[in-house]
Amino acid sequence: MKQNRGPFFVGYLPAPEALRGFLLAVCVLFVAGLAGFGLAIGVAQDDPGDGAFRFDYGRQTVTGVVELTPYPLLRVTEGNEHIPAGHTLILAGTGKTNVESRAIPLEGQLAQVSGVMLQRGALDMLQLRGGRNGISAAEGAVTPMETVSLGRWKLAGEICDGKCLAGAMRPGRGLAHKACANLCLLGKVPPVFVSSQPVEGSEFLLITGPDGTHLPEKAYHYVAQFVSLEGEVERRGDLLVLRLDPETLEVLQ
Amino acid sequence: MSVKYIPVQWNWNKYIYDAVMLLGAGLFLYVFLYAAPGILSHERPINAQVHNARAFGACAFVMLTVILCIGPLARLDPRFLPLLYNRRHFGVMTAFVAITHAGYIVDWYFAFSASNKYEALLFANTSYGQLAGFPFEVFGIFALFTLILLAATSHDFWMKFLSPPVWKRIHYLIYPAYLSVVAHVSFGILQDQQNHVFTAIFVGGALAVGVLHLLAALKDRRTDAATSTAAADWVEVCDVAEMNDGFAKIRLLANGERVAVYLNEGRLSAISNSCAHQNGPLGEGRIIDCLVTCPWHGFQYDVTNGRSPAPFTEKVPTYNLKMDGTAVFVDPRANPPGTYVEPLRLRDGTTS
Amino acid sequence: MNQAEAILLGLRIWGSIGAVIAAMFLTIGMDRIDDDARDAYIFRPLLIPSILVIWPLVLWRWYLYESGHEHWARRYDPPRKAHFYVGWVLPVGICLIILTGLSQRQTWPAETAPVQLSEPTEISQ
Repeated sequence: MKQNRGPFFVGYLPAPEALRGFLLAVCVLFVAGLAGFGLAIGVAQDDPGDGAFRFDYGRQTVTGVVELTPYPLLRVTEGNEHIPAGHTLILAGTGKTNVESRAIPLEGQLAQVSGVMLQRGALDMLQLRGGRNGISAAEGAVTPMETVSLGRWKLAGEICDGKCLAGAMRPGRGLAHKACANLCLLGKVPPVFVSSQPVEGSEFLLITGPDGTHLPEKAYHYVAQFVSLEGEVERRGDLLVLRLDPETLEVLQ
Repeated sequence: MSVKYIPVQWNWNKYIYDAVMLLGAGLFLYVFLYAAPGILSHERPINAQVHNARAFGACAFVMLTVILCIGPLARLDPRFLPLLYNRRHFGVMTAFVAITHAGYIVDWYFAFSASNKYEALLFANTSYGQLAGFPFEVFGIFALFTLILLAATSHDFWMKFLSPPVWKRIHYLIYPAYLSVVAHVSFGILQDQQNHVFTAIFVGGALAVGVLHLLAALKDRRTDAATSTAAADWVEVCDVAEMNDGFAKIRLLANGERVAVYLNEGRLSAISNSCAHQNGPLGEGRIIDCLVTCPWHGFQYDVTNGRSPAPFTEKVPTYNLKMDGTAVFVDPRANPPGTYVEPLRLRDGTTS
Repeated sequence: MNQAEAILLGLRIWGSIGAVIAAMFLTIGMDRIDDDARDAYIFRPLLIPSILVIWPLVLWRWYLYESGHEHWARRYDPPRKAHFYVGWVLPVGICLIILTGLSQRQTWPAETAPVQLSEPTEISQ
């Protein structure tokens, strides 16, 4: 074998003259390379979209009729500048929690809700304040609310947790975010289906299990992937609700 | 080269090594964290926690990739050996960068729920039966645990206590850990990323690690083939004319041991090729001030008895030699570490 | 208890045993088996994290030194052959993993239009 007769580096002695130029070049290359990679990778990140907490709107307080899909909705009857009457508002708790325990007693009743809005394009959601400050019964007559069946549909798109998608996290969808989405969904945060193309004008549909159940366990394995699925679609005000038939879930190729 | 253990035996080269390493990693993080956001023209910024997690994750990947290139580079070209000298500090720093990445992830994606965040990390995604959507976090967890284990066992005490071969076997876990990191990235961010600059850097870095290890392994195999010997009572090393003063000839014995036969001021001595410190290849070192000096960390041995000079206490096995004409032969049965063997004196004019 | 809790509990138990062994090893064991450790105390806390993790290995090595079963020849036998296996496992593994990962990537089905499979059956409420 060939022997190394070149300069010999001993750690606790000064580096040999003949090696210094080489080592200096390696150091410069290393430092410049790392800075360059930092910049290249840093600026190559995808746009996470425009979803956000709308703290700039301030605290929102509106009144409407509580519905359970079972994920709680508010059919707004008395709105404001950002949440007009006639809008259907998805309700969520703080963090990865839900407000079902507070909404169930108020089902079908008039309630006042208060919290901060999340908004991403046409999708919005209200993160309620804690306790009765977030949702409480309101005085007044209950207007009957219509639910219109739109029949059975086959859709392509992605199952997301609605809250991160709406702007609680940027980015708030995709496979790198899947575990986070699952954790939200386990906390019964309302899931949202992003359709490849609008369904009756809506790109975002609240997605539930069949027959008024929560998103079935099977669907968790498909979260954040691009899938095709079938289900009954119904219109509740300006919100579409998709009743997923879990047997039809398929990963798109 | 410890007399009494201390946390770190600093010297100027280690200071320089660590300074360059910290400067590189620091610049990577600074540029990623503070320069990149201004250049990105997003309508709304990426969440700071995600941005930080990505910065530290990408930094850990790049650092680990550089670290893994050092070993094969030094085997292919000894000029890279100085990079090996303090590689453990590089590894420990990488472990800290990786821990920071994991911290941001756990405190962001797995926080805010009613469950303990570490439990959530384990149960949130259980899609183990599929490739897309596979809980790639487990790859990261394995790699992180390995990095922490390797960093925690990096002190010289562990090398001596566990013995270099056992220590080395533990530290070979870096290879499954790197594959795990590659899987962590491939089944994580690579699934979503639409801008492929990172993909290109990631694939390029990982392939560089793979190819360099392959090249180094092929070179090692050629070297082994050239130095291996058949079983015999006395194994021929070489003709004495092939030897150079201050340098060794290495022979791979039939029992798997390597012996380094040194020519030192006209006298031949043989010691084990494995340094007592980290089993570095003593035969690839050279004699400095009458002492064999290891090319990895500069541990030194008296070539006649395999002992480090006082106050150091390291010892390596020695071997008996004999000459037959101008041919040098070694007895493949090693003497216990530190055994003195009378060097073979060459007649004048038998060596170059 | 769910599996995640069980795993974390297991880790805590493992670490707790390690803590006891670390306490014994760093105060008593070390001085008995390593001359270089005598009167050297500042570096010892650095060893705690690793003992928490690899305490069975620590016990095994401790036993080898105490019982005199540690054979010197084993200290000079590095696993260099592993370099060769690493040399091909690493590149092949890296390529396989990356290619598998890239093959799983999906593209957003922008062209797939929603299809109505059946007319509404009823109007509720």
